[in-house]
Amino acid sequence: MMSGSFSFTEILGTGAVLAVVSLLLVLWERAEKIKNLQKAVDNLKRSLDEMDEQAKLIVRTDMELNKTQEELDKKVAGLYALQKLTRAISTTLEESLIFRMVEPGHLEGLNFEKACGFLWNEKEKKFVLYLTIGYSEDETRIIRSSIEQDKNIYLDLIKNGKTLSSISQPKDDAALKRITDIFDVAYFVICPILPKEGNKGFLFVGTLNTDTSLTEGDEELITILVNQLGQALENARLFEKIWQSQQELEKKVEERTRALTFALEEVRAISKRKTDFISAVSHELRTPLTSIKGYAAILTAEKLGVLPPAAKERLEKINIHSDELVHMVNDLLDIARIEAGKTIMKIEDQDLRHIIANVADLIAIQCKNKNIDLLADIGEDVPLVLADRSQLERVFINLLGNAVKFTPQNGKITIQARLKEKTVEVDISDNGIGIPEESLTKLFQEFYRVDNAVNQEVKGTGLGLSLVKHIVEAHRGKIWVESFPNKGSTFSFTLPAKE
Amino acid sequence: MNIGIGLSTAKDTFLATKEALHLAKKNITQERIDLAILFSTIEFAYAKTIQTVVSILGPVPLMGCTSAAVIANQGIFKRGIAVMLLGFPEGIYCNTAWVKEISKEGTRAAGEELGEKLLYGFKDLRRDFGMIFSDGLMEDGSGFISGLQERLGKVFPIVGASASDNLRFLKTFLYCNQEVMSRAACGILWGGKLNFGLGIKHGWKPLGKPRTVTKAEGNIVYEIDGVYAAKLYEDYLACDAEQLKKELNRVSTFYPLGLYLAGEEEYLLRNILSIQDDGSLVCHGNIPLDSSIRLMIGTKESCLNATQQACKEAQDGLLGRKSELIFVFDSISRYILLGREADKELEIIKNQFGQDMPIIGFYTYGEQAPLKAISYHGHAYSHNQTIAVLALGG
Repeated sequence: MMSGSFSFTEILGTGAVLAVVSLLLVLWERAEKIKNLQKAVDNLKRSLDEMDEQAKLIVRTDMELNKTQEELDKKVAGLYALQKLTRAISTTLEESLIFRMVEPGHLEGLNFEKACGFLWNEKEKKFVLYLTIGYSEDETRIIRSSIEQDKNIYLDLIKNGKTLSSISQPKDDAALKRITDIFDVAYFVICPILPKEGNKGFLFVGTLNTDTSLTEGDEELITILVNQLGQALENARLFEKIWQSQQELEKKVEERTRALTFALEEVRAISKRKTDFISAVSHELRTPLTSIKGYAAILTAEKLGVLPPAAKERLEKINIHSDELVHMVNDLLDIARIEAGKTIMKIEDQDLRHIIANVADLIAIQCKNKNIDLLADIGEDVPLVLADRSQLERVFINLLGNAVKFTPQNGKITIQARLKEKTVEVDISDNGIGIPEESLTKLFQEFYRVDNAVNQEVKGTGLGLSLVKHIVEAHRGKIWVESFPNKGSTFSFTLPAKE
Repeated sequence: MNIGIGLSTAKDTFLATKEALHLAKKNITQERIDLAILFSTIEFAYAKTIQTVVSILGPVPLMGCTSAAVIANQGIFKRGIAVMLLGFPEGIYCNTAWVKEISKEGTRAAGEELGEKLLYGFKDLRRDFGMIFSDGLMEDGSGFISGLQERLGKVFPIVGASASDNLRFLKTFLYCNQEVMSRAACGILWGGKLNFGLGIKHGWKPLGKPRTVTKAEGNIVYEIDGVYAAKLYEDYLACDAEQLKKELNRVSTFYPLGLYLAGEEEYLLRNILSIQDDGSLVCHGNIPLDSSIRLMIGTKESCLNATQQACKEAQDGLLGRKSELIFVFDSISRYILLGREADKELEIIKNQFGQDMPIIGFYTYGEQAPLKAISYHGHAYSHNQTIAVLALGG
């Protein structure tokens, strides 16, 4: 037996030792758990911190995205406003209305809420206000007087075509500060309006909003807007000019028309008086002429006794000249009747071939005498025409008679006809002496006779072509002539075709 | 209920007011008008607008405010005026009141005063809910609501919306009978046999680690997790204080703070109004000390989903009764976030309630509505970034 020394086990007993060991084990286990929990907590904390860091990244990215989106929205809204405004401005052609097209809504789209538009009046040597948005009357008054005071700054801008804005100038610039004070804004753009003609000016736009800063993009949009304003002013001024010229022109045309109408009325009255006169005179002449012709015929027939040959010869001359006079008077009467609309036209279907054949018979002897070839070329497709037979025969007699008269020996006369739309065109051509150019326009006037050798020899009244013209026109046709001296002439006229 | 809505976007404010009123009068089939509600963009905030209204309508109670854009059946308009005229059937009634010259320190008192005035004449009548329009730049909106509840009852349903301007945050206006005023609030207390359903949602989701507000007072958060509050944003956006201040409007709109509220489906959002020199954040609405907060993020899709949910909640709130009229109080932040897709919210509302359902509303600088979770006992809170859809049925 050991004395004086006791083992631990002896003192506490085996059970107690076991209990302590168990306790230690439990404590160790707990400590392990706590350690693990601490580890988990640390892990969680780390995760949370990491998550927070990620959250920061998300917020920063989101912020960037929002800013980009905002910028994009701003640009889209700006462009949209600009498009709307440009459309409104471009449809205005009145100078005073152009500035009125700028509305607060447009400015808002461009991210401004204040605006002023001035144009320089060269006569009065001052800036005139045309547009004001976002200012009270008192504020406008102050701005006006400040602009008047600083006009040289703005005239310089116009002269140099330079845009002045919050971003183009250094922040401590005195002019910049003065402008922001006068116009009571945080940011602004002043852009010169430079139409090619007339008064120039400038547009001011500004905002008090300091949330978003002014960008070069904003400045560009305002420059585009101002260019449009300038263009619109130019257009309006041009339009005004054209409009005024047009007004003057219209006035002149009106005056001239009035004068012409008056002249036409006078011409008509004179013409009527002339027709009436001719008609009256012709009537008055015909009666004594008939008597003269009758007495001359009685005398020539020697019913009142035999006449000396010289007297008979003179009487025959009286008879011939009386016939000519009767002819002339008849022509004059016909012209007067047609002019006065008194001639009754018996419009019927006429075959040109028959008419031409009849007339050709009448002038056949004259043609034969001069050995003139008379050719008629009437196409088969030429339809009937609507005309008064006797009047139409007079047209042909006159024109063919003239052709024979002015065509030399062995000459050629051609009659052609063809369908042109709803009319038939007849051409009577000869290879005679032709008509001088200066006579062509006067040819159809009454009593006009071309000054040539033939006319000097052969007598005529100068009424034939005038009568022809009147007859053709009474048929709603047209007559004209083409001629080359010494080569021949072609008289053409139209008549309505039977449908 | 007899309802006539008129809208005009005419350039001339006077002519636009006349046109909107004539259209509204044409659309309402009864002579008597019990209430007029007017929402307009800032260009209309002149006495002349109200004078025109009075000259046409006569002495009809009129309430309303200005906004960055007005909402009506026809669409969303950045410049325009919308008027709604109401003729109540027997058994439905309302009382209107307003408070003006609200000082920074006196918002709670102003809320109490408005509550008091609204209750006038409603002693023995059934009250349904209160509709409040307030100055959008009022800093202590929570205090105002709290004062209002003091008088109307802590659990009395209040739906409110803050007026807005053309996103300049310079001045907002309230229309109260024959006056146009700033630093004011007005309200309509509705009562009688009226049913309403309210849906209010935002769609923003939490992002990053939860954090704790370690120092705060009212609507100012001084410290988050023991450091100055603005550090949260500086860290997330990797920017310095100056940059943050410069971009605060955008940052606050896209990434508001979210307060976790047990039992609520969505976090309660808080926009940041300003950053103080000590790095503290001035919020649009209170943030209590020890609140668990998160940075929030929203997308167009989540935003539009929220609109759909708000519509459904409003419809469900009517308990199967037919809606007759829809009020929409939509946060301006949503308008900014949705951009060109803002119209889609209106489409969703129309699809839910019918294409011809009369709709009127505006974009707000803040919304007020009760929380749904039981633990909040239906208390009204200031909300940010939400769309509040209020369906009214007889």
